[in-house]
Amino acid sequence: MSGAADIGILSFCLIYLLLIVVLILMRRSKIAKTRELLIASLRMTAQLVLVGFILTYILQNPHPAFTAAFISAMVVFSVHRVLSRQKGLNFRFKVIIGASFSISGLAILAYFVLAVLGQSLANPQYTIPLAGMILGNSMTGMNLALASFSQSITSQKQKMDALLNLGVPPQNILKPLAGGALETALIPTINSMVGMGIIFLPGMMTGQILSGTLPTTAILYQISIMIAICAAVSLAVFAALMAGVKTLYNGKSQFTFGPDITRKDPS
Amino acid sequence: MEPLFKTEDLVFGGFLKYADLSFPAGKITFITGESGSGKSTLFKILNGTLSPSKGRAYYRGRDIEALDAIALRREVSLVSQEPFLFDGAVRENFDAYYAYREQSPPTDADIKKLLSSFLLDFGTDAPTRTFSGGEKQRLYIAVFLSFQPRVLLLDEPTSALDAATGASVLSAIIKSCRENGTEVVVVSHSVQMAEQFAQNTLHLRKEAAL
Repeated sequence: MSGAADIGILSFCLIYLLLIVVLILMRRSKIAKTRELLIASLRMTAQLVLVGFILTYILQNPHPAFTAAFISAMVVFSVHRVLSRQKGLNFRFKVIIGASFSISGLAILAYFVLAVLGQSLANPQYTIPLAGMILGNSMTGMNLALASFSQSITSQKQKMDALLNLGVPPQNILKPLAGGALETALIPTINSMVGMGIIFLPGMMTGQILSGTLPTTAILYQISIMIAICAAVSLAVFAALMAGVKTLYNGKSQFTFGPDITRKDPS
Repeated sequence: MEPLFKTEDLVFGGFLKYADLSFPAGKITFITGESGSGKSTLFKILNGTLSPSKGRAYYRGRDIEALDAIALRREVSLVSQEPFLFDGAVRENFDAYYAYREQSPPTDADIKKLLSSFLLDFGTDAPTRTFSGGEKQRLYIAVFLSFQPRVLLLDEPTSALDAATGASVLSAIIKSCRENGTEVVVVSHSVQMAEQFAQNTLHLRKEAAL
């Protein structure tokens, strides 16, 4: 087994030719997303080049402070991304989402690195890539869960009002909706677990094999990361919604939001 | 005798101001008034799902704001204008509502009896999605009444029906409530309905914004 072959800059540029194919297809299909595709490709390139340099520096000069700073930046960025989609949500709910997301992700990361791999948390080679996978997937799960939860609240307002009027405690009305949202959040992870190895080779395993790791070792990492992601998504979403729903009613068992979750004043 | 409900200087949200109201116990009260006069909001204040921004509302002499909200709503249940039914059959609706209230549901025989008193000639296995608007509304009210609240607040209970059917349905509902010992307060925009059934009528006026 040998490490991944180096890609020369000129050969690397050949891959951008494939984008031209996409652009031609978009034009032909009259999809007005050319600008978005170009911006997305440029952003991806710039972000990855930057992160490539930073990671190279951190791996060559490992220091716990660098690892901690990198992980903190990832947490802040992903929490910001999650919350930026939930503009109208009340402030306490947002704090709960941020806290649940960060604590669950970091706890699962710590368990993976310390207990399963037996490595130090300060070791950037393990901690940073695994944090990226765990936090990135938790972010997708959290976004899905919150979208599903808000959508249920909007579409089931009539049912919620009927139950409230009948004397059902608000927590008993909201908890099933939170359960439904958790189910939605877990679907992509569960689906990819089912297809893994047969329909597609997952990214982490492919990367390891490309860099010369034995496939038998790569699968152990892959299985571990999938279970870790599943646990991180469940924990983050469960904690965020179970604690978050408590911000949606007051001490008088009244809902504190209007026709949808983002409107605060009931009318 | 203590009135069933009483309000004092009630204001909601800075845009609804109510004249002081008193609902006698043991009489069927109708609340009428143009749209925007705050009829539905008043109902929500009376069963504690909304709080007034100023003033007080009393249920049998007790300040509603100071009562346990869940216990109050089980005693004073509000049947909103838009019925909500779960997917599935009549039986499943009773099961679902009773599961939310954490109570054991009534037997098929009890449900059947209740349905016929509401002029609903269906079996408990009838799927509710085939019901007409009026039938859905009646089943919805029947579910609420089956919990035997002390007071039922009915918001436009016959809005999905024509005048003649509305009158016979409301008469059946009032009869069932009487048999249960449940007090009835009705919000209705129909003057004829109020003239026919009300023993006490309160007319709400749109007060000028504060």
